[in-house]
Amino acid sequence: MTTFRTASARRALTHILLLGFGFAYLYPFLWAVGSSLKSKLDFLDGGLSLIPPAPRWENYTQAWQEASFGTYFMNTLIISVVSVFFTLLFTAMAGFALARTTFPGRKIVIGVIMVTFLLPHGYTIIPVFDLVNALGLLNTLWSVIIVQVGGGLVFGTFMFMAYFSTMPRELEEAARVDGAGFNTLFFRVMLPLAKPMAATLGLFTFISSWNNFFLPLVFTLGKPELRTVGVGLYAFTNQTTTNWTLLCAGAIISLAPIVIVFVVAQRYIVEAIAGAVKA
Amino acid sequence: MSNNRDFAMSRRSLLAGLAGVGGLAALTACGSPGSGPASPARSGGKQAVITHWDKWASQEPWVKKEIGLFQEANPGVTIQRTMQASGNLENLLDLAARGGDMPDVFMVAQDRLDEHIAQGRVLDLSKYATLEWQKTFPAHSFVEGVNAAGGKIYSAPFEGYATDVQLYLNNQVFKDAGLVEADGTVKIPKNWNDVTLFAEQITKKGNGSVHGLGFGNSAFPIIPWWVNFFVNGSGTPATLPSSTPGGLDPRTGKFTLRTESPYLDFLALFLEWRDKGYIFPQSLSIDDEISRQHFARGKFGMIVGGVWNQPGWTDLGFTDYTTVTMVPQDGRRKSFFYRGAGSVHLAVSATTKHPDEAWEWFKWWYGQQAGTRFVQELKGGVSIHPEANDPSKIDFAPFAQFVAGAELVLPGPQPSLRNPATIHVVPKPVTPSFEDICTGLYTGQIKDMRAALTKLNEDLEKEFVKALDKAVQEGHKVSRDDYVFADWDLGKPYKWDIPEYLGA
Amino acid sequence: MPTTQLDRAHPAGPAAEPPRRPSVWRRVRANGWSYAYLLPFAVLTGAFTVYPILASLGYTLYDWDGIGEPTDFVGLANFQEVVADGYFWNSLANAALYTVVLVPVQLVLALAMALVLNNPKLRGSTFYRAIYFLPAVTSIAIVGIVLKLMLANFGDALSAPLAGLGLIDQPLQFLGDPDTVLWTVIAIGIWNTLGYNLIYFLAGLQTIPKDLYEAAQLDGAGRFARFVHVTVPGLRNVGVVIVFLAIIGSLQVFDLVMVLTGGGPFFASDVVNTYVYRQAFGQVGTGVVTEPDIGLASAASFFFGLLLLVLTAGQMLAIKKLRARKERT
Repeated sequence: MTTFRTASARRALTHILLLGFGFAYLYPFLWAVGSSLKSKLDFLDGGLSLIPPAPRWENYTQAWQEASFGTYFMNTLIISVVSVFFTLLFTAMAGFALARTTFPGRKIVIGVIMVTFLLPHGYTIIPVFDLVNALGLLNTLWSVIIVQVGGGLVFGTFMFMAYFSTMPRELEEAARVDGAGFNTLFFRVMLPLAKPMAATLGLFTFISSWNNFFLPLVFTLGKPELRTVGVGLYAFTNQTTTNWTLLCAGAIISLAPIVIVFVVAQRYIVEAIAGAVKA
Repeated sequence: MSNNRDFAMSRRSLLAGLAGVGGLAALTACGSPGSGPASPARSGGKQAVITHWDKWASQEPWVKKEIGLFQEANPGVTIQRTMQASGNLENLLDLAARGGDMPDVFMVAQDRLDEHIAQGRVLDLSKYATLEWQKTFPAHSFVEGVNAAGGKIYSAPFEGYATDVQLYLNNQVFKDAGLVEADGTVKIPKNWNDVTLFAEQITKKGNGSVHGLGFGNSAFPIIPWWVNFFVNGSGTPATLPSSTPGGLDPRTGKFTLRTESPYLDFLALFLEWRDKGYIFPQSLSIDDEISRQHFARGKFGMIVGGVWNQPGWTDLGFTDYTTVTMVPQDGRRKSFFYRGAGSVHLAVSATTKHPDEAWEWFKWWYGQQAGTRFVQELKGGVSIHPEANDPSKIDFAPFAQFVAGAELVLPGPQPSLRNPATIHVVPKPVTPSFEDICTGLYTGQIKDMRAALTKLNEDLEKEFVKALDKAVQEGHKVSRDDYVFADWDLGKPYKWDIPEYLGA
Repeated sequence: MPTTQLDRAHPAGPAAEPPRRPSVWRRVRANGWSYAYLLPFAVLTGAFTVYPILASLGYTLYDWDGIGEPTDFVGLANFQEVVADGYFWNSLANAALYTVVLVPVQLVLALAMALVLNNPKLRGSTFYRAIYFLPAVTSIAIVGIVLKLMLANFGDALSAPLAGLGLIDQPLQFLGDPDTVLWTVIAIGIWNTLGYNLIYFLAGLQTIPKDLYEAAQLDGAGRFARFVHVTVPGLRNVGVVIVFLAIIGSLQVFDLVMVLTGGGPFFASDVVNTYVYRQAFGQVGTGVVTEPDIGLASAASFFFGLLLLVLTAGQMLAIKKLRARKERT
């Protein structure tokens, strides 16, 4: 009886702490949500208050139109989903090869990975722009995808490499006893076990791709209809004025897909692989 | 990892992050584009589609209206406009040129025009810009080394001449503090001491919730605007034509400007205002934009800013303020704002497929009627066409006060008019710059004002000499004499020795 | 394509490789699939990561404003200028302080949160995870605008009572005071990016087999003992990666500082990447637009990259030595 009581008291305390701390933690975000429904004046006079005195839902429709989200949403979705797919596929393959096999040149590849982590990737887009131009990809969604994927592989490969190298060796041996070859081992055994890492990387890749602003801007200069949500958001800030309330509304609209992806991904992130290891 | 986003950003192309964030830090020059394309759909016939890039956001209503009017008058032409905000525009133009896909018409920056000309990217407009058309502009609008090169015209001035920053008074705050004349209008500060007295009274009456003065220094340095505003008129030339290196005194060609007494006196006074608590306490933590709104909401009584503040205030329903264009140290005007001749604005791509239509649009944008709408409807600034700037036709007092301030802007000495080769002398920036020093003085990070400014003069001199030597090495005929205008009288318009129109 | 031989010895490391090595060519042929798996990575990374780095390395030798092509060769002058610039070293010191304070605080917090939120019995854990992750994905523009306004309002609200009590004589300024600004930025940095490390730790916790916990519990190990003897060793590999990324990421912090302070006031919160930004894009505002200097910016960032390389190499050597010593004992 007493243990039950202390257990439930502890549980309640955990929730109170998590909620209280969480509220403080999220306060700025909630404030932005409140601001997205305020008029400009309420925004300025409201101080730290969260609640809009007279909610203006039309801020959302206005933000949607002014940022051309209707046109840009689909572009962003295509770019993000395709980028995530190729990033995960290529980095998992490379990370697997680097973690589970030794081949001549492996150390060189790892060395290059480490060095590219630390060296600056340049303060001008010009070399990459010239390259994409030479490939004839300017003003296509592919140009954005290929540059995004190509620029993000080192990080993912590094993470997968670290992840695969912690997998118990027994697994691999058991699979090989069953006659699994290289491809089967990767696609059937290792890749499913790497779901937490794949979900983590997929989530982060999706976020950075979804929010990306500069690459979609630069590579679709000649075709503004191919722009993305990240570019659209800038309709609210310009040289002399920022439309705070619409910017807040636009940012929250553009956050929605990320939250959905998060809710889906986090399930895989915390999917215990212990069971699979045993089996 | 702790900063995945920063990381991912610096990994792709740092420029990505940089440009993005810069845009967010609203006013810094790295903004970015906004509106989507204008609808290109126009059925029937052979439509010439003119792509047009500019960086005008708050002027957007005017741009859209002009596009509509132009298309009505020219049914065969469609303008497809893209707004690329501020500092990004030049970089994007460069990329577009690399991709072989430049817009037909675009806004161009003064310091990049010669590069565009050298790369053959901009169209020589001489064929269209006849003497007759030039004469619809005031004299000295088309100038070799500014918007023309080798006798060929590449651009034209759009905006007229006005003071770059003004002092704004919140009428209600003034009234609440009892700062009114006998006729009920608010008291206008005539000299620096007035500003001190008014600020003191507002702060005292405000009881901690209202301050005399305020600004927002966090996104980019605003204190130099205050310095500039108060020093202009006080006997030192603070605003000079663009080809004069910062800190150089054209009367001597030496870098002594920043240590002249109006500068030292004003900075000392500014620090005194700070010490006495007249200045809004969070001025260093907020940015200019927020500070403008705080001013509108009556948190302080006076702010320095540009005419671009006005549309934002109108938008909020705040119109009860006064524009002051000059407050000399002792109330007597001993110097003015100084401008150069001509300027650049739009250019046409050398590779446009529709040069005639592009010119038509160019001509429309620059026309007197468009200019009149720019001034009187948008209230976006002053036009190069004097007829458009008739203050009697402006129905909004604070804007009319700004337009009337044009009389305080005089032609000044411009090295590049006397010797166009001086455009190849480009001194590198120094750190700490004058802007940095202003902030450092205010926070107390710099204690010795005179020493810091003297060091600044020396740094500027060093970089200038380097740039001059480099230009000479490259074969340009330039010397320090090009920067000396010993005969210049601060109180009079400077007489330029150039033709009034090109090809006359 | 020959069947690739999986290396049994790995991941124990090269030390455990078979004693007699076959010839290189044979080993290359035996690993055909490994190369095939690396091919897309190698091609794309070569083109879009390595090539831009090499191109920028070339720019360090020029005086170039980023327009047209670099032509004005200046040798190593850009590097000399960076090394001699006190403001570069100031920004490096700030970035170092940012990192030294942020990384341990944030990682301890993130690990603690991950342990709590990893508990399958905790109801609403999805909800809590979302709460703590949200600040990390909120647009940095919003973060900048919101926090600047909130801190200024907050500073004003706090200043009056504190001044009344005689505790302060100057109004509180979280971002405007050179003595507090960096600490404010660090606190916001901890808040803003904690979510990423939380996720990494959650993913890392999944690599620890559950039966290890069960076995430990059967042995009578308490919560703390299980944390020390199962969780900590289980997280070691992932943990090293997280720490490494946290350090590198913090040293390279940029956008948060840019939107909150731009490095100011008077360089009090200037970090290396804001320093580089000023070189690369010039100073803006007040009508004084200065020429961008891509050459100098590239030199500054490469110099910084080299410092990081040395630091990382040192770190790795130290870890190797520690491990070797541990294995010996």
